[in-house]
Amino acid sequence: MQRSLIRKEVMPFLLMFGFLILATLITDAVLHQFELAWIGRWLGIPGTLLILSSFFYSLRKRKKISFGNPKTLLKVHETLTWIGALFILVHAGVHVYAILPWLALLAMLINVISGMTGKYLLDRSRRFLAEKKETYLQQGLSDQEVEKRLFRDATTYDLMKQWRTVHLPITLAFAVLGVTHILSILLFWQWK
Amino acid sequence: MKKKQITVIVAANLFVLVMLVFLFPQFMISPGKPVEAHIDLADDCFACHTPFIGSTAEQCIDCHAVADIGIKTTKGLLIDKEQKNVAFHQKLVEEDCMACHSEHKGVQPFRPIGQFSHELLQTSVKEQCDSCHSNPADGFHKKITGNCSQCHSNESWLPATFDHEKYFRFDKDHNTECATCHINNDYTNYTCYGCHEHSRSNIREEHLEEGIRDYENCVDCHRSGDEDEAKRIWRSGSYKSKMQQQLNLDGVDQSNYRKHDHDD
Repeated sequence: MQRSLIRKEVMPFLLMFGFLILATLITDAVLHQFELAWIGRWLGIPGTLLILSSFFYSLRKRKKISFGNPKTLLKVHETLTWIGALFILVHAGVHVYAILPWLALLAMLINVISGMTGKYLLDRSRRFLAEKKETYLQQGLSDQEVEKRLFRDATTYDLMKQWRTVHLPITLAFAVLGVTHILSILLFWQWK
Repeated sequence: MKKKQITVIVAANLFVLVMLVFLFPQFMISPGKPVEAHIDLADDCFACHTPFIGSTAEQCIDCHAVADIGIKTTKGLLIDKEQKNVAFHQKLVEEDCMACHSEHKGVQPFRPIGQFSHELLQTSVKEQCDSCHSNPADGFHKKITGNCSQCHSNESWLPATFDHEKYFRFDKDHNTECATCHINNDYTNYTCYGCHEHSRSNIREEHLEEGIRDYENCVDCHRSGDEDEAKRIWRSGSYKSKMQQQLNLDGVDQSNYRKHDHDD
């Protein structure tokens, strides 16, 4: 049971996050190797746009928009935020000069970790409900009764609801710090 | 804890952080300390930055009068060292300080002062390389004054734009340091004896076998390591005139360009 938990949930999470950090290090090293570090300076823009575009999923889920398959949009949300986070990490580099961009970066990383946690909690919820359904069906309950009980179980065991309590404020922190960083750049940037 | 409570706590913290940006911009948003001479301005971003425009040359010139750069300090004290770069700042095509100077430590790697564009200089200064640069201390360059652009570009000193292939093409057997052939930093001369393949006795023997007695200047016929090509040039008898034309075109004094070590 314990081994299964590590294999199914902890390892994929660590791998996905570890691969993000590894990809950042490799990209940064390659850019420096070919004297293209200046590209990293501009990667903040596509990174931000990718993260912003991934929010179509959030809008769809809250019914603010009606187009798009939610399942597909969730995949797009996960992929674009991962690539966007990679761009932002390369953009940040390892140069520590100002506090605000680092706070924004920290908020983004916490957001990414929270997002990945949400992904695995969602999988766990699905597995939990599937197991319950199997048990109820084996007990010989009618389909109607099974649905009724599953609804009750889902409400009781709503990990996603609990997770969203944390994920949304984290996203808010990232958004505010990110926007403040971008505004400060627009304010002081050498436009010529 | 309820979602609303968490959101309020996060929002309150964010409010404090945003306030800190306004109160301490030098720590929160400044990309590193400014250069030592401007350290007094570190807390006053708008001393140099115009909102949504950046730093303008006019703001720099308010303190650094262009006519005084290299001559007097901003406090009016005479600068007591060699005035090498005086014309440099006074003869720019455009007063664009930020094209070369960056004040914050975090910006300097992207705009290093050593990478300024020579295109910013007026043509008259652009052609006077020695007003800023010293002649390389080798035998060849010591004899040359001015006209650097004949062999070098403004983008970088090395590689030189001088086309060595007009005289000799490098190949896998002739891929070596300049000093192997141009000894003692003297690029007016060369020797082929730097390589064990070309010993004096071998060269003499091989040429005499072919009835060639005038083999003093190897590159007359040997324009690369291709021996067949050298034979063709020798047989055609065109080598003398071709080399003469090339040297004349490049403005090289042919009397210097000889393989002096070939007297045996």
